[in-house]
Amino acid sequence: MPTESLIGYGAPVCVDSGSDQDGYLQGCTQVKCCPRSLYSLVNCPNFPPQLSAGPAQLSPSLSGLSLQSQTPEALRVVNLLQERNLLPLGPVTPPTPCLPQDLQKINCHPEVFRSTLTSIPQTQSLLNKAKLPLGLLLHPFKDLSQLPVVTSSTIVRCRSCRTYINPFVTFLDQRRWKCNLCYRVNDVPEEFMYNPVSRSYGEPHKRPEVQNATLEFIAPSEYMLRPPQPAVYLIVLDVSHNAVETGYLDVVCQSLLENINALPGDSRTKIGFITFDSTIHFYNLQEGLSQPQMLIVSDIEDIFLPTPDSLLVNLNECKELVQDLLRSLPQMFGKTMETQCALGPALQAAFKLLSATGGRVSVFQTQLPSLGVGALKSREDPNQRASAKDIQHLSPATDFYKKLALDCSGQQVAVDLFLLSSQYCDLASLGCISRYSAGSVYYYPSYHQQHNPAGVECFQKDLKRYLTRKIGFEAVMRIRCSKGLSIHTFHGNFFVRSTDLLSLPNVNPDAGFAVQMSIEENLVDMQSVSFQAALLYTSSKGERRIRVHTMCLPVVNSLSDIFAGADVQAITCLLASMAVDRSVTASLSDARDAMTNASIDSLTSFRTSVLTIQQPGLLAPACLRLFPLYILALLKQKAFRTGTSTRLDDRVFAMCQLKYQPLAYVMLMIHPALYRVDDLTDEGALNVSERTIPQPRVQQLSVEKLSRDGAFLMDAGSVIYLWIGRNCNPNFLTQVLGLPNYAAVPLNMNMLPELDTAESQRTRAFVGWLREQRPFFPILHVIRDESPLKASFLQNMIEDRTESALSYYEFLLHIQQQVSK
Amino acid sequence: MVLLTMIARVADGLPLAASMQEDEQSGRDLQHYQSQAKQLCRKLNAQSPNRCTLEAGVMSFHYVLEHGVCYLALCEAVFPKRLVFGYLEDLQTEFHEQHGKKVSTVSRPYSFIEFDTYIQKTKKTYIDSRARRNLGSINTELQDVQRIMVANIEEVLQRGEALSALDTKASNLSSLSKKYRSDAKYLNTRSTYAKIAAGAVFFITLIVYVRFWWI
Repeated sequence: MPTESLIGYGAPVCVDSGSDQDGYLQGCTQVKCCPRSLYSLVNCPNFPPQLSAGPAQLSPSLSGLSLQSQTPEALRVVNLLQERNLLPLGPVTPPTPCLPQDLQKINCHPEVFRSTLTSIPQTQSLLNKAKLPLGLLLHPFKDLSQLPVVTSSTIVRCRSCRTYINPFVTFLDQRRWKCNLCYRVNDVPEEFMYNPVSRSYGEPHKRPEVQNATLEFIAPSEYMLRPPQPAVYLIVLDVSHNAVETGYLDVVCQSLLENINALPGDSRTKIGFITFDSTIHFYNLQEGLSQPQMLIVSDIEDIFLPTPDSLLVNLNECKELVQDLLRSLPQMFGKTMETQCALGPALQAAFKLLSATGGRVSVFQTQLPSLGVGALKSREDPNQRASAKDIQHLSPATDFYKKLALDCSGQQVAVDLFLLSSQYCDLASLGCISRYSAGSVYYYPSYHQQHNPAGVECFQKDLKRYLTRKIGFEAVMRIRCSKGLSIHTFHGNFFVRSTDLLSLPNVNPDAGFAVQMSIEENLVDMQSVSFQAALLYTSSKGERRIRVHTMCLPVVNSLSDIFAGADVQAITCLLASMAVDRSVTASLSDARDAMTNASIDSLTSFRTSVLTIQQPGLLAPACLRLFPLYILALLKQKAFRTGTSTRLDDRVFAMCQLKYQPLAYVMLMIHPALYRVDDLTDEGALNVSERTIPQPRVQQLSVEKLSRDGAFLMDAGSVIYLWIGRNCNPNFLTQVLGLPNYAAVPLNMNMLPELDTAESQRTRAFVGWLREQRPFFPILHVIRDESPLKASFLQNMIEDRTESALSYYEFLLHIQQQVSK
Repeated sequence: MVLLTMIARVADGLPLAASMQEDEQSGRDLQHYQSQAKQLCRKLNAQSPNRCTLEAGVMSFHYVLEHGVCYLALCEAVFPKRLVFGYLEDLQTEFHEQHGKKVSTVSRPYSFIEFDTYIQKTKKTYIDSRARRNLGSINTELQDVQRIMVANIEEVLQRGEALSALDTKASNLSSLSKKYRSDAKYLNTRSTYAKIAAGAVFFITLIVYVRFWWI
């Protein structure tokens, strides 16, 4: 069947209806010419069947009207001012591209590859009319439970655009295939005729490459400029007085000791350590030494490596010495009085040490760097936080970190930054070191071993994940799209080399990317377009691999179809990334206006161009009904909010996360999920590996929904709040929290006791399940009315009015005013 | 100083293991030599001399072929040959013992990249002048090192290129002659048609003439 469908799919492209401009007509002609075509309209809600009867007479506006009469669910008109209960019962699901079923079945999973518009407009002018952003969101290195791996000496690619063969290409006959990105006809190599899975000959379309939209190739030696590098890890630790005071060294060393055998790598894995305060300390771990040797370099102006070849050692051969060092390190600096910190020179030293091989640098920093190159000054005025009209200092203060990051990127070195501090650290400047070298940033505000146990637990869990997760070295990623489309802006952590090649010295499974696209040439006689992301990397076992994702989307020519295929979550995330850029290049208020305008414009466009019957109220298609809510949530998000006191580092970190995190986590950051948990039942529960996980419904984020006799759980991505009402069901208090009454709820409670009751098991199963779904560890805060964290809990109640921001209803009224103008 | 070490399968030039070059420390761009080394591994075959030194300007390639595996090292030209071959012999013994049996079965490039650890260690003992003294015993066994063939890398690499150039020229020639043949055929048919046409015109004139004026 796939043979025929693939050929059938190709056929309509050849049938060109010539001068006819009406797309509906075209679609129908093709259906008539080619009854086998996959575009038979059965599975397409957007193509109502009666159109094929006499489409020639229908003008576009009339066809819009007839769409109205049989509106698909996505286009059902919702009056936002009347319908309050917009949230779906469960998670918001991405729309399914309107493709023939057998193509859609093999299409790339939306968690990996997602487009803001699942129906691509035919022309740029049509896209401009819809006022919706066009872009892709990717999570290319996501941990996958199932991934086909192909080993073959020749990887079949298009000769002109170098696209990897994929499920959406067309086989003209047994010997030739047509590229779905540039439409060139290529030969099928002899080797490809044999199918190793079914052990049959002459069925190239049944090869795994043509059956899977996501797969991995083992690269032949042409894909290697040099022998694959070993896994190399360098730990750079701040050991100034301030750092020792927070007590983070214990946690880092302990985590490393526990996970030293779980670090991804093989027998070549190398490890090294650098510590720094006002001087740089190296550790000689050469095999044969009885204990680690510390070498101090005090000349931070012109940094050099004291013994180049014994600072980075083979982990397997020198494990004892490394363990020795990790055990003694926390005590070594116990009595230090050195308060200065020379981060810049330490990073230079790290770069020098790794530049021969490439690898990963993990930097732990606890204060504003104050010595040597890259020293920074405090730029934040705490008194201005709430009142300032516009937020200053979102851009870096020095280009030292960016320049160094680019040098690192050239030598395949990535820098991950762990910032543990209670004071302003200028993350806007420091973050550049990770941003351009494709590292990641972790931030633990007010970290302290004794005063902030929840932060410590979170740091521990994150560190465990960080040390043991998969890692790819010396990676590059290229995103290709069909002729006519072009990618113009990239979001995420990387450096763009040669217009469209993303240089990623390291790639990790928790990194997300976004790109913006424009339509350069009209896609008139195309039924669908494809996008392909190819990630070439060296695994920690020294294998060069290529992971390829391909997504296929239909092309449409009417506004109503574009709106029907809009993916509100993807649009929100892309807008958030764009807004971060805007607030750095222009100003925060500019970015906020742009976001509000984005929702106004798209709803105006919907009202004027798609709706034929004008009704009063604020009308939105069902698929975009959450759009104003998400925009309001973004405006109240840490990154973009004004009027409330937000620390600059918190804000910058939120911005980093919006750009760097994959869509699913960003959505929780923007619009947390609220559940009522005091009455969890097994009704409609999920069954995951013999555990029953209750599924309470998602509540609106409004205080009105909180009732004093209940307990509510708010999942905000990196943090989970459990709010206990004053008159909470005593049963819940005793059975789940193990407390006699409300007054006994402690102010800083961070875990649920393991009680042997059904309620406790249900609640813990639910919280555990929420945590499992993300790579980082959200802390749980149990909150009562007097808790200090109550304010941040209530700040997430985005539908409510605050002293400086509109309520959801007011925001809707504001939008309505603008729309009906 | 050994700058680059590579172990490859002779049959198809598949790299099996290699030692990372130290770009920064030696301060030289080894990319060019790296690609030459790859080409060389592809050029070598069972007929190539078992041990050979190839001069490449200030550098020299030295290789040892044994059991269908090529052990290649790049050093400065002044580096003692005897040491290099001692080093390569050492690698050969160890590699054959560890992975010898698996060589013919692998298909992934750099399948034995973990052998790098051993390469680096061995390299250190040969380069380190203090440790070198201990190697006296090995060196004596390699007295005949002087008799190892010396050739120029460019010549070796170009030998193949000249052949392939000849090949392309020959195929060009054959395609040109084919074209000539088809052109000639075409011309032939055209001239035949022209002749036929001329005859036909003559006859028609004749018939017309006979029909209207003769009678």
